[in-house]
Amino acid sequence: MGDLVAVFVIWLVAGGLAEWATVSWINSGPWDSGPYFYVASNLGTVGLHAFDFLLEFAVAIFMLVVVMIAYSAVRFRVRRGERPSQAPSQSRYNGTFVGVWIVGSIVLNLLFWIHPTASGLEAVYAAQLPQNNKNALIVDVAARQWEWIFSYPQYGIQQAVNNQGFDALWLPVNRPVEFVLKSYDPAHNYENIDYVIHSFWIPAFGVKEDVVPGQTRYLYLIPTHITSTKTNEMVRVQCAEVCGGGHPYMEADVHVVTPQAFAAWVQHQKHLQASILNLEGIVGDES
Amino acid sequence: MAPAMRGVLWGLVAFFVFNAATLAVDPSAESPYASQVSVTVGWFAAMIAYLLGIGGLEAVARPMFGLSDTWREAPGWRRYFGFSTDHKVVGLQYMLASAGGFLVAGLVAMAMRYQLMTPYLTIFGSTSDYLTAVGIHGTIMMFSVATVFMVGGLGNYLVPLMIGTNRTVFPKLSGLSVWLVPFGILTVALSPLLGGFTTGWRGYQPLAGSDTNGILFYYLGIVALTTSSFMVALNLTTTIIFRRAPGVTWNRLPMFAWGILTVSLLNLIWLPEIQITYLMNLAERLVPLNLFNANGSPAMYLDLFWLFGHPEVYIVVVPALAVWNEILPVMGKKSLFARPVAVLGLVFVMLLSGLVWAHHMFTNIRATEQLPFSFFTEMISIPTGFAYLAAIGTLWRSRLQVNTPTLLVLMSMFNFLIGGLTGLFLADVPINYQIHNTFWVVGHFHYTIIGGMVFSSLAAMYYWLPKFSGRMFNEFWGKFGAIWIFIAFNATFGNFFVLGLRGMNRWVPVYPGYLVPENVWTSIAAFVLGAGFLFHAAHLWWAWYRGEKADENPWGARTLEWQTSSPTPEVNFSRPPIVAANFYSYGDDAPPVLWAGDASHAD
Ligand code: HEM
Ligand SMILES: [Cu+2]
Repeated sequence: MGDLVAVFVIWLVAGGLAEWATVSWINSGPWDSGPYFYVASNLGTVGLHAFDFLLEFAVAIFMLVVVMIAYSAVRFRVRRGERPSQAPSQSRYNGTFVGVWIVGSIVLNLLFWIHPTASGLEAVYAAQLPQNNKNALIVDVAARQWEWIFSYPQYGIQQAVNNQGFDALWLPVNRPVEFVLKSYDPAHNYENIDYVIHSFWIPAFGVKEDVVPGQTRYLYLIPTHITSTKTNEMVRVQCAEVCGGGHPYMEADVHVVTPQAFAAWVQHQKHLQASILNLEGIVGDES
Repeated sequence: MAPAMRGVLWGLVAFFVFNAATLAVDPSAESPYASQVSVTVGWFAAMIAYLLGIGGLEAVARPMFGLSDTWREAPGWRRYFGFSTDHKVVGLQYMLASAGGFLVAGLVAMAMRYQLMTPYLTIFGSTSDYLTAVGIHGTIMMFSVATVFMVGGLGNYLVPLMIGTNRTVFPKLSGLSVWLVPFGILTVALSPLLGGFTTGWRGYQPLAGSDTNGILFYYLGIVALTTSSFMVALNLTTTIIFRRAPGVTWNRLPMFAWGILTVSLLNLIWLPEIQITYLMNLAERLVPLNLFNANGSPAMYLDLFWLFGHPEVYIVVVPALAVWNEILPVMGKKSLFARPVAVLGLVFVMLLSGLVWAHHMFTNIRATEQLPFSFFTEMISIPTGFAYLAAIGTLWRSRLQVNTPTLLVLMSMFNFLIGGLTGLFLADVPINYQIHNTFWVVGHFHYTIIGGMVFSSLAAMYYWLPKFSGRMFNEFWGKFGAIWIFIAFNATFGNFFVLGLRGMNRWVPVYPGYLVPENVWTSIAAFVLGAGFLFHAAHLWWAWYRGEKADENPWGARTLEWQTSSPTPEVNFSRPPIVAANFYSYGDDAPPVLWAGDASHAD
């Protein structure tokens, strides 16, 4: 009995300290992003809350098991100078221990599956429903080896680029975005056997979705903070599925801005596009 | 000529002859020396010639044609460099080949970690070279170390001893199979000759389709290595079912034998699946077939790979869980706690492991599939936990000798706990959206594989060293090494979780600058870890030849392998053992394991 009480007390103390550290971590960072370091979208927040919840339980479980192992190894060890002998107790079964363990692990796992997994997925799925995405900004994303190409069909922007000509993703804050994800090369759209799987990931948004050749995938989310790659490098588009030699370079800058700034950027892009097309002598009969 | 030399020579000759003959029939437009088809045909011919050369000709091929078996094993240490039907020789050959794979792939890992100290390319000439390194590291580690050291190595050596038999059922099969391991390792390691491959160990399509021909050696190497594991599974399953000594009932079967049995069943079920998949991939390339590119179904390959790939990780870890509960009762001198629960845990893990594969594809599959796959994934932690239940129950009120094997087992339990708990986060789909394909995942599986399986393998090496060699390791240096790798391992791979959360993705030798400081620390810890493994290898090598002479049964264990002399004699048991009591019953009044009477009266 004494040993059981000792394990329990040590667990309470050590576990309590560990939980205190965990909670401080959870409450750290901008907007309490804690373990996620930087979260700026509605879907990311769903994941973050699940992470925080599981972390608190995982730390408690971890401490319990480690305390049991460490306590046994110290308390029941053969000490220096003692002769090894048969253990005094040879109990091969203890219904209470086995019962508590098995029922406990079943209950915990069912709990984890219901919350946060199923409940979190409900939130993710709800965020994908049409009624929650009225007035969504549509961004067509083409993933090719090795580039992300963003176009904005609602605004007639064919390829959004920054002033250096690199692809860039601009989004207005707090407006739903519909990403339409395809793996293909707009410049070589007949070579479909060379298309590979990519994965569209914005670390700060806490979500990635694979982009598979021959399929069109949709991802709906809402950027919740004004930020950009310059503010924090987790705010970037990064390919997350190995796609050949250029995989590490397959990234793009992201800017989440006010609606006004977004409108101005759209005008700027149109202007840029017109001047490029003019330069190439393509435009004319279209206008 | 030593059989190994003869095998290599015949293999080389066969490769060039068949490569040239294929080119003569089917010339290549690209190169006068080789084509995809000629290399493949040459490789298969080389494999057969090599197996004949190491002794298969005299021992296997001749008897097949009704001629006599003229194979004679060389005496002494030379025995280890040729075909052998002794399960102990085969077991040690497996361990050595696997350790060789660990060394090669480990050195590649060191190169990768060196590269990752900077956010720009240093020792790798191109990003593709780095990806090739990742692929070689992962493939060799998985198919020649993680699934081989404990099963082909410890399994072949120990299982026949533990169940009280002198030989396995198909000794020639395993005599050949072990030679496929160095062959497969070499094949994968030589893939840069054909241009390397950028897909990593998973060979994802359709990327593999546009890769250079190096991917051929990835497919072929895995075909050789998985064939080897399949042969082991056939042999050991049959041996466990049919060769148990009188009294070794299913209820008395040792834990490690249970582990090997469940794993072998997994191998028998899933290895053919992945082999067919790789042969399809080979055909996809050579013909080509358009199975897995945008004209076919790219996502199909992912399913086919993980259908095997997930059971694979249990193939890795189940023997480790079994080793914990093999060693702890002995070192604690306490009866194994809740043995039926521990066995059931292994069996349920084996069954459930076929139902969780799509958790590797949460960012890829339909929403309707996410819930069931996350459900089964979370549930599999319940039977896995039974290994802990039995181990902790055994430790409780034991008289624990905290020596090197015990320490390594306890460390393995600690590490694997972290591996398992971090898997809980991956099983939660909304979290998976963020940490999938980041260093979090890389941390998670290194914790389960190195933390769980490699630490347990080392525990097993120290525990059974007196059995293998008749000598004892040095207790101080053993513990010293254990603590060394424990600290270095956690320092290295604990960092991986943080890196992943901060946005470091996999397969990138070039990454954003804010991740540099953390990567530098990780790499330094990784080098210390690598040195720690070398230290253990050196210590074990020294102890094997120079260690103090050990007692026949230094740990006072009850399982059968300790009931014969150490090192194991040529004939395991001069008199067949008859088992009369439980192997894991300790205590002053525990009945003797062996039936004391005359063998002829046993019934
Ligand atoms: C010796 C210490 C080791 C170190 C420092 C190490 C380090 C690494 C690193 C840095 C990666 C690459 C991650 C990436 O860029 O995507 C990796 C991948 C991998 N490692 Fe290790 N590793 C070690 C041992 C092992 C062992 C023992 C195994 C298994 C038995 C293993 C299995 C793998 C696998 C399967 C991959 C994935 C390869 C892929 O993405 O295709 N590693 N390791
Ligand atoms: Cu990509």
